[in-house]
Parts: sequence; C-alpha cells; structure tokens
Amino acid sequence: MISLAGRDILHSWGKFVLTGMGLGLLIGVTLTMAGVYRGMVDDAKVMLTNSGADIWVVQKDTQGPYAEASSIRDDAYRGVLGLPGVAQAANVTYLTMQVRHGDTDERAMVVGFEQGQPGEPNYLVAGRRLLRGHFEAIADVKTGFRLGERIVIRRHDYEVVGLTRRMVSSGGDPMVFIPLKDAQEAQFLKDNDSIISDRARTAANPALNRPGIPGLLDAVNAAQTVNHSVNAVLVRVADGHPAESVAQEIRRWKHLQAYTREQMEEILIAKLIATSAKQIGMFLVILTIVSAAIVAFIIYTMTLGKIREIAVLKLIGTRNRSIAGMILQQALGLGLIGFVVGKIAATIWAPAFPKYVLLEGADALRGFIIVMVVCALASTLAIRAALKVDPATAIGG
Amino acid sequence: MDAGIRIEGLSKRYGEGDTAVEALKDVNMSIAPGEVVGLVGPSGSGKTTLLKCLGAVIEPTRGRMTLGGEVIYDSAAGGWKTKDLRALRRDRIGFIFQAPYLIPFLDVTDNVALLPMLAGRANGASRARALELLQALDVAHRARAQPSELSGGEQQRVSIARALANQPPVILADEPTAPLDSERALAVVRILNRMASQYQTAIIVVTHDEKIIPTFKRIYHIRDGRTVEEAGEGREIS
Repeated sequence: MISLAGRDILHSWGKFVLTGMGLGLLIGVTLTMAGVYRGMVDDAKVMLTNSGADIWVVQKDTQGPYAEASSIRDDAYRGVLGLPGVAQAANVTYLTMQVRHGDTDERAMVVGFEQGQPGEPNYLVAGRRLLRGHFEAIADVKTGFRLGERIVIRRHDYEVVGLTRRMVSSGGDPMVFIPLKDAQEAQFLKDNDSIISDRARTAANPALNRPGIPGLLDAVNAAQTVNHSVNAVLVRVADGHPAESVAQEIRRWKHLQAYTREQMEEILIAKLIATSAKQIGMFLVILTIVSAAIVAFIIYTMTLGKIREIAVLKLIGTRNRSIAGMILQQALGLGLIGFVVGKIAATIWAPAFPKYVLLEGADALRGFIIVMVVCALASTLAIRAALKVDPATAIGG
Repeated sequence: MDAGIRIEGLSKRYGEGDTAVEALKDVNMSIAPGEVVGLVGPSGSGKTTLLKCLGAVIEPTRGRMTLGGEVIYDSAAGGWKTKDLRALRRDRIGFIFQAPYLIPFLDVTDNVALLPMLAGRANGASRARALELLQALDVAHRARAQPSELSGGEQQRVSIARALANQPPVILADEPTAPLDSERALAVVRILNRMASQYQTAIIVVTHDEKIIPTFKRIYHIRDGRTVEEAGEGREIS
C-alpha cells in the first residue's frame, strides 16, 4: 500500500521543510531553554566541586556564602581545625562585582583564598599559581583576560598570572581568584573619603577622644579600618569521617552553620536557582503550547486544503483510519523535521550564549518524545475535520 | 436484459412531515453491461440525489437496486445488503467526477493503482493493472507524471482509468465533460463507449452538455424526481 502521508510530504516537500524549519527554530529555543537550566545546575555543581570542600562553615542562621551573605571571624577556622575529622580548613571570601578590564567593566565573582588550601582553583589552563601574597590574580578564561593583563579591583591593580576554566558562580559569572588578604580588603575596606569621614566623626566623639587617654583614638581608628571577616570556612574532611557527623560537631561546638556537599547542593539548586528554574519552566510550557498551536494550525490548514481530495478518497473506499493515519504521519513528520532542525540549531548556537548551556542527551530524548506527543495531539483537530468530510461532497452540487 | 445495474421503484425523501421533500419518486432504470446511457435533467430535478443513491453514499427511502445481478439494496428486506458501503463503492462502483479530482500528491500510475491497492491487491499487480488501463486510454506515456503536469483531457482519461481500476459492473459519471471543449468532450464520450464495450461496464453519464446528449442511444430524463426513458439519437462520433 502506498504511504499517502509520505507521498504528500514528498509532493510538497518545500512547504513541509520550510514549515518544519520554522517549527524547528522554536524547538531549538525550547531545547536551549532546557540547556540554560541544566547549565545553571551544572555551574552550581562545578563551583562546589572546584572549591574542593566537603563542608562549608558559614555565619549562624544563614544559608551562605552563595545564597545569602555570611560573615564570620577569620580566626574561626582555627577552632574548626581542632575538631576531630577535619583535615583542612581555610578562609574564603566571595564577592560578585564589576572588575575593570581596560576601558570596560566585566562582571565577575572575586574569590579570596589562601594558597594551598581549599578554595584554590584546582587546575590551570595557562600560567602559574599565585606565588606572591598580594596583587596577583588567576582568572577564568570567560572573563576575557589574558596572561599578563591587569585587573583593576577597587583601588588596586592585579596581574593575571594564571588562567582557569569552568570556574563560575552559580549565577554564571566567571571567577577571579586573588589572595585572601587582598580580597578581604576589597570586600570590607571603605574608600578614603569614608575613612576620613569616619575618623573625623570618631575624633569628634568625646567618649572616644579623651585627652586623658592619648592612644584611645588611634586604637579605635585602627579597629575600624582593619577587617577580620571572611564569608566562609571551607573544610576538607579526613578519610574515614562522614561529612555530616563532622558538620554536626561544628554546629554544636562552634555556634556556626555547617553545610555538607549535599546540603549545599540543595541550597544552590532548590533555593538559589529555584526561581530561575520556575521562570525557565514557564517559558518551556509556553513554548510547548505555542509549538502545539503552530503544528495544529499548520496541519489543520493543510487538511482543509485537501478536503475535496479527502472526500474523493473516502468515496472511492479509503478507510477513515488510513486518512487519519495520513494526517497523523504528516504531523509526526513535521515534528521530526522540526526536532532535527531544532537540535542542530541548539547545538550550533549554544556555545554563543554568555552563560553555560548544557544540552543533555536525556533532555533531547525527552524533548523528542514530547514533540511527537504534542504533534500527535495537535493533529487530532485536523483528523476530526477530515473524518467529518462527507464523501457525498465529491459528487455533484 | 441482464442488467449491469437495475433500479426498481427507488424513492428518496428528505426530512419529515410538512417539510419533507420527495427528491426521487419511484425511479426505474436498467442499464446493461457495456451500455452507456445519459441521465439528463434540469437543476434540482434529482440527478445528484439519484447518483448518490446509486453510489451508495446516501440511503434511499424505498426501492430496490441490483448490481451485476446481485441485490445491493432492498428496502423491503432491511435496506443495504452489506454494512461495508465503503467496500461496496470501492469494489463495485466506479466514479468519474465533473473535475478529475486526481490525488495531487500521487503520480498518474498510483492514482489509478490506489483503488486495487485499497481493495487489498499487491502493489505490483495494482500498478500492472493501472498501466494496462492507461495504455487502453492512451495516457501510458504520462504514467510517471504528476496530475498537475497533465492537460484537462489527459486528467479526465486518468480519472476514467481510475474508475475502471477495480473492474466495477457500473460507473457513475457526474458531468464528466463539463470543463471540456466540444472536441475533448466528444473524445471523452468516445472513450467511455469504448471502455464500456471493452470492459463490459454499465456507464451512467449525468450531463447537461448539449454536445454529447445526441451521442447516447438511450437517455433517462429526470424531472421532479421522476424518470422517463427515451431513445437517443445514438449519433456516431467521428
């Protein structure tokens, strides 16, 4: 038996392919949206993996350092180091900010870390690790910096001595790694005008500027200028110690919040990017509905254009299921062309996106099934119209 | 006469009560295998209704129809003899329409071969049958062409081949010459006569066409749902 759908597609392949390409671009956008979400999740996981930590110790009653602001004393790590099961503990700071790159600003997450400790980028694609205690930086290649270039962060210039890759924040901002002390200053140090203003205010306060205690004013000023805060302590657990039990000890004895890898993932994925995920989910639903409407409209219009032929086919003995099968196959054919075009388009344009777009094979498979189901459902309107055609309309007036 | 198709006392009423319209009233017809008859009448006389009843597209209200000696409808015996009217139309009735209505996405051969295929014949045998008919109708050289590449006359010849594809005992032709000029219209009638004779098929040609009416040996005039048979001129077509 002849494939009526196949012949019809071959007969008007130009119209079919063009329609399929239009649909394909829409499907490509849908696959890309899913890829954006997967990219966000992957960025979050990669960020946690790259930090090299098993436990994140943050300010009590916060979900820092990524989802909320967290500030703890920079000597808290010493107490943590003393707990059983803790192999390494190190301070880190995280600050998302604009850094100067020549005449332009780049958005980046500036990470302050201690050399050789958790928080240090664990691999480089070019250059070397930080050797000096100040004013050197390692940048993710996505920042656009090259070795030897200078980054302006707040008041200081930093020389890029190393480049790393796939080091991004959960928001997709590329990271710039600088020494912890510099990062603390960049994050907490006030500008000169503020310092002068604060000093004048302190000097005008008779309680802090007592003539009888000459060193008091200087001491207060020094205390206001120096900052001893960090955002988190990253802990590496010793072999044989479950991370959760070590985290419990930290919570119990140090009055700090401690999150294991699983808990931090939960915070990042279920909370931090939850709104973005819902946003993308809404887009996916809308795009799916729009795709379904387009397929339904196209197939319906194509069927209406063949009403007389369908009447003739019915009159000469073609079964309803053959006619329904023809329309269904055309809808599925359209969906197949659309999916192939969409997959190719998404693969081509995904690397051009500023944030990481992760196109997963499982998503593509799910997308293919959804496209086919949507096309099948969308064809029901046209099938209904075709089955209602009276074969008598082929005869006379 | 051994009828290709015989109709006895056929009536068709649309609607009920005061609004009922009697479209066909006690129609009687008999067409022998190999015979071509004209069915002529003004608009609204009941031609299309009769064609639809004969084509098993609508059910008559009363009467009896015999096709190739076999009763296909008898109102006194419960109506249609088969529930599968689609198969009845496919296997035992050929249709030629006012416009050829070829399936635009099938080539000429497959337009003709589609019917035997629908009837369950193998693709190869169906295409062989199609080519045989296309040869008989002098359009075999366009066998691979698309319908849109054919002239009006060629399209109508292909539609005649399609009507003959399952060797039906009767063909219903609904104004088959309407879109054609005189020369082509007469050529179509000549072909119908030849095919009727060659394949022993009874052909009913519904027409308004004054050019072809004189060519029929028998004509049924239909007016207000009633038919009157008269002898035609049976003029030879040169």
